[in-house]
Amino acid sequence: MAEAKKDTVVLQTSDDEQFTVERKVAERSALIKSMMEDLGAQEGSLIPLPNVSSSVMVKILEYCDHHKSEPLPAPDANDQDDARRKTAEIGEWDSKFIQVDQEMLFEIILAANYLDIKPLLDVGCKTVANMIKGKTPEEIRKLFNITNDFTPEEEEQIRKENEWAEE
Amino acid sequence: MSSSNAAADAAWVEPTKNDKPSKDADLKHAWAFLRVGVEHIMTRLHMGMSYSYYILLYTAIYDFCTQNRPHTSAFGAGHRGGASLQGADLYRSLHNYLSDHCKQMREEGEKLSDLELLKFYAKQWDRYTTGANYVNKMFNYLNKHWVKREKDEGRKEVYTVYTLALVAWKQNFFKHLNPGAGGVSRLTQALLKQIELQRNGEQVDSGLLKRVIDSYVSLGLDEADAQRSNLEVYKEHFQEHFIAATQAYYKAESTDFVANNSVSDYMKKAEDRLQEEADRVNLYLNDTTKKDLKETCEKALIAAHSDIIVDEFQPLLNADKNDDLTRMYGLLMRIPNGLEPLRKKFEEHVKLSGCAAVQKIMPTPAAGAESSKTESVDPKAYVEALLEVHSKYSDVVNGPFRAELGFNASLDRACREFVNLNPAASNSTRSPELLASHTDQLLQKNNKEVDADTLEKALEQVMVVFRFVTDKDVFQKFYGKKLAKRLVNHTSASDDSESSMITKLKAEQGFDYTNKFTRMFQDVNLSRDLTERFKEKERSQGISSDLDFQCQVLGTNFWPFNPPATEFTIPREISPTFDRFVKFYNEAHSGRKLTWLWHVSKNELKTTYLAQKYIFMTSAYQMSILTQFNESDTHTFKELQTATSIAEGILKPQLVVLVKMKVLLQDDDTYELNLNFKAKKIKVQLNQQIKSEQKQEHTETLAAVDEDRKFVYQATIVRLMKSRKTMKHQALIQEVTATISTKFTPKIPEIKKGIDHLIEKDYLERAEGSNDTYNYLA
Repeated sequence: MAEAKKDTVVLQTSDDEQFTVERKVAERSALIKSMMEDLGAQEGSLIPLPNVSSSVMVKILEYCDHHKSEPLPAPDANDQDDARRKTAEIGEWDSKFIQVDQEMLFEIILAANYLDIKPLLDVGCKTVANMIKGKTPEEIRKLFNITNDFTPEEEEQIRKENEWAEE
Repeated sequence: MSSSNAAADAAWVEPTKNDKPSKDADLKHAWAFLRVGVEHIMTRLHMGMSYSYYILLYTAIYDFCTQNRPHTSAFGAGHRGGASLQGADLYRSLHNYLSDHCKQMREEGEKLSDLELLKFYAKQWDRYTTGANYVNKMFNYLNKHWVKREKDEGRKEVYTVYTLALVAWKQNFFKHLNPGAGGVSRLTQALLKQIELQRNGEQVDSGLLKRVIDSYVSLGLDEADAQRSNLEVYKEHFQEHFIAATQAYYKAESTDFVANNSVSDYMKKAEDRLQEEADRVNLYLNDTTKKDLKETCEKALIAAHSDIIVDEFQPLLNADKNDDLTRMYGLLMRIPNGLEPLRKKFEEHVKLSGCAAVQKIMPTPAAGAESSKTESVDPKAYVEALLEVHSKYSDVVNGPFRAELGFNASLDRACREFVNLNPAASNSTRSPELLASHTDQLLQKNNKEVDADTLEKALEQVMVVFRFVTDKDVFQKFYGKKLAKRLVNHTSASDDSESSMITKLKAEQGFDYTNKFTRMFQDVNLSRDLTERFKEKERSQGISSDLDFQCQVLGTNFWPFNPPATEFTIPREISPTFDRFVKFYNEAHSGRKLTWLWHVSKNELKTTYLAQKYIFMTSAYQMSILTQFNESDTHTFKELQTATSIAEGILKPQLVVLVKMKVLLQDDDTYELNLNFKAKKIKVQLNQQIKSEQKQEHTETLAAVDEDRKFVYQATIVRLMKSRKTMKHQALIQEVTATISTKFTPKIPEIKKGIDHLIEKDYLERAEGSNDTYNYLA
């Protein structure tokens, strides 16, 4: 343990739980990575993450740990990468990992956005997209528990504008 | 800066979680918290920052940007497709902060100038850009969402945070160092001053200059695409002024230097300056300045003074100052057309040097009459004089002039000129003749003192001159004559050297050129066998003779010998052998006609009438005269002529030699054998070439060349016309000239004569209705 300590960081969640993790696991978060680069190593310092709860943090760390050895996406991924990311299927491990309840799914997306973990954010967003795919607006409203606040006229208008996307 | 002083440092206490604004804090509260953090990064970065404070600041930005509330962006309030992207207010606050920050620096900078200003500017620039980098990352969320969205929607003047910081610097600090329209910024002035000091030889902090100049490059922001930078700021605010200052500096310096120093020293100075300026680019300028700076310096340092530099060329050449010539080449090659005047002068100089070298080896006028002057030129000294000049200036071309093509061409042109026309060679046939004589001397047996390697090198040198000779056919004729003599007289140094020379000529001029030489060689070898076979036959038939007979059968078309010009009665002493050989030969080769070349034959006669036995080496004619004295010790001229049948014109000079050598004693018309003949050596050489024969030979050879040329003209015309069928006059002349010039320099009137001759002989006709076109008649 003592030896590993050198290359670990301690993350503290909004509910004051502490997670000691390998530095390279933590650095899947672009936020943490660039901060540590800029501020340098600070022994014994906690990294407080006030916008993430411990229950979500467990999931996030599971993801980061699994992917810790993969190359990090370039800080300014260009459009080509963008296009590939949009079309690529979710990997086997990732799709199992993301089989969580809806509330947890949204929590993960928010945390990935906050911590700037782009691949995880993509997995989350793609999963939501897959949930919507092939469903009627009614079904979608039901799925996400959304009240329809459009008037019928407005709804007709939007339908017309998006006709091209049907079929 | 006031904020960077110790008191402020000491007073700094890092805010904590408790100071962080709530998630739904308004701009005022959020910015109040963020401003302290930004200020800390921008001014007190050296004090460091904790992870937790950093995360608090980041989170405050994140929270503010993700707030779900109607937005009040000053940058437009369009419906944003549902997602609310806060940020405009935050962005503007940050912008204001950075602008104010830069204005403070401006105020401080205004009090400074020159070196102090540079130091201040560089220090602030380093601090500011480092800080801006940190802030940029901390505002990552703003960059990635709000800024990106604004830019995606085509909004200009919205930048990522780092670029925003540069814009603020440029607008609020950098620009204000400029005194006004058209003027040179105080910062640039300070830079130029330091550069001038450096040029004057003073120590200057190049690193400082580099830091400041690099900032000009960084401030070249592309308004349309912040990812890309351009060099506008650098070019407009620095390079333009820098180039102008450079131009002025070197104009003044070089004008002054040239007035007070030698050209040679000036060239050293210019060379150093050019190197110095090239190094300057690497030290602290942007690479794109290289070209302009180089051109400016070359113009001011070289082109502006090229006249006096070029004027110095001749003296340097005369004095063989190769170092200075090297430098001059190095300088003038940099400017357009800089070398052309040198090439012309060089060509003229080599030409004159060649002629001067030949003049030196000419016999002094006192040694002979004007007409014999050129004839008594020593071929060896002549060729060596040519070679020396060529070799000397080849070294100059390959050394100082770096083997540049133009100088090589000048050298070749000059050599071709002086090799063919010089004080010893008033026309182009003289040089090839002298060269052939020199080669003959080299290849003679009596040239034994040189070993094979030296001889081979000497032959290679001959080829150097040969390449410049225009009348290669003249060389061919004379060389053939001399070769024939060496072979017939067995005076050749070695077969290897002979064939080496032939191989060289063949490589240069082709198979046709050396065909006859090769055949001559073959004939000599075949004759050796033939003699052996004849002797074998004589032995087998039991015929013994006190005559040692050697024959050489020479193909009529390949050897440069004419049939004898006189009748000749074969002396009875040799006539049996003569008859047997003719029979032997006709048996072996029926139908071949043998013509006996008595005038090139030679003999060795053993004396029996003197106490001491001598061997007389004679020509066939002398032999036939002397054998007459086997019958009687005295003969009249008439008797000798009747007995030998030799024409008077040939007989007389032969007798003169015999009398001169005291073999015969002359008394008016009567010749008596000198019974008291004495000589120092046993072998007495009587076979001397008669002077008038030499001269005649020379004239005949040249006449043969002319005769051959007529044929070459006609053959070339026919060959061309046969393949083209129809040709215009001008084109025909041109092509004939081009084809022939590898052999000799053709003369246009001769080509015209050839055409006329061929028309007469019905090889060609003038095309109907056209006065300048010929048709080929099959």
